[in-house]
Amino acid sequence: MTGRVLDWLLAIAGGVLLTLMTLSNAVLARHTDALYASWAAHAVGAVVALLLVPAIARRGAPVRAAGAARTPLWYYLGGIPGALVVVLSAVAVNSELALAGTIALMLTGQVVFGTAADHLGLLHTPQRRVTGTDLAVAGCVLAGSVLIVLGGA
Amino acid sequence: MLFFVSLALLNGVLIGASRTINGQLGTRAGAFRASVWNHVVGFVFLSAVLLVLRTWPDITDVPVAAYAGGVFGALFVAVNSYVFPRLGAMSASVLVISGQVLSAVVIDCVQQGTLPAPVRLAGVALVLLGLSLPRITAHLRRKDP
Repeated sequence: MTGRVLDWLLAIAGGVLLTLMTLSNAVLARHTDALYASWAAHAVGAVVALLLVPAIARRGAPVRAAGAARTPLWYYLGGIPGALVVVLSAVAVNSELALAGTIALMLTGQVVFGTAADHLGLLHTPQRRVTGTDLAVAGCVLAGSVLIVLGGA
Repeated sequence: MLFFVSLALLNGVLIGASRTINGQLGTRAGAFRASVWNHVVGFVFLSAVLLVLRTWPDITDVPVAAYAGGVFGALFVAVNSYVFPRLGAMSASVLVISGQVLSAVVIDCVQQGTLPAPVRLAGVALVLLGLSLPRITAHLRRKDP
C-alpha cells in the first residue's frame, strides 16, 4: 500500500512538473512561436535527461530477464506522437474551440485512451480490470478539470 | 467544428499513446533513458517539421529563463515513465491531470493575488473528491460487515 501511495504522489508531482513546463514554454512561445518553443524545449530536455542518466539512474537499466523479447523499435518512438501534439494542438487552438475547449477535449481524449489501453491491453500494456471506483475517480477528476479549464482564472 | 473536436480528442489520444509508449520503454531501459529517447526523437521530428514549414522566429530577445521548460519536461517524462506501467494508463493519466489542474489553479491564484472563480473552486472540489474516492470506498467496505 505504501508503495502505491508513493506512486500516486509521484504521478501528481508529475502533473505539477507539467504545469511548470507549460508555464515556461508559454513564455518562450510568446517571445517566439509555439513550434520553435517546443523544438527548443525538446533540445534542452534531451540534454538535461542525458545528464541525469548517469547522475540518477546509476543502477543502470533494469536487467532484462533471460529469454525476454527484444525491445521493439516503436518503444523508442514515443516522442513522435508527443511532438505531433504540438503541431496539431496549434491548429485546434486557432479554431472556434479556443484554448479552453481544446484543453478540455485533450484531457477527455487522454482519459478515454487510458481506459481503453488498460481494458484492452493496448500498446503491450498489461490488461487491467477497470473497476467502478476507477471510473468514478476518472469521471470526477475529468469533470472537475473541465470546470477548472472552462471556469476562467 | 466536428473536425476540430475530433482533432482535439485525437490530440489527447496521442498524448496518452506517447506516455504509454515511454512507460513501456521505461520498463526496459529505465525511466531516465526513456526521457532521453522521448526528447531526442521528438527533437528530430520537430526539426523535420521546421525544415518543411521553413518558419524561424526572431529569437534575439528571449529571456534565458524561458528555456527552463525543457528541464521540467525532462523530469516530467522520467517521472511519468516510471509511474505509468506501475499504475496503469488510466490511473496514471487521471493522477497526472489532477496534479496539473490543481497546481495551475494555485499558480494562477498566487500570480493574480485573487481567489479562483466559484466555478473553478467547484472544479477543485470535484477533483479532490475524485482523488479521495478509493479511500472512501475502502473505508465504507471495512465498515460493511
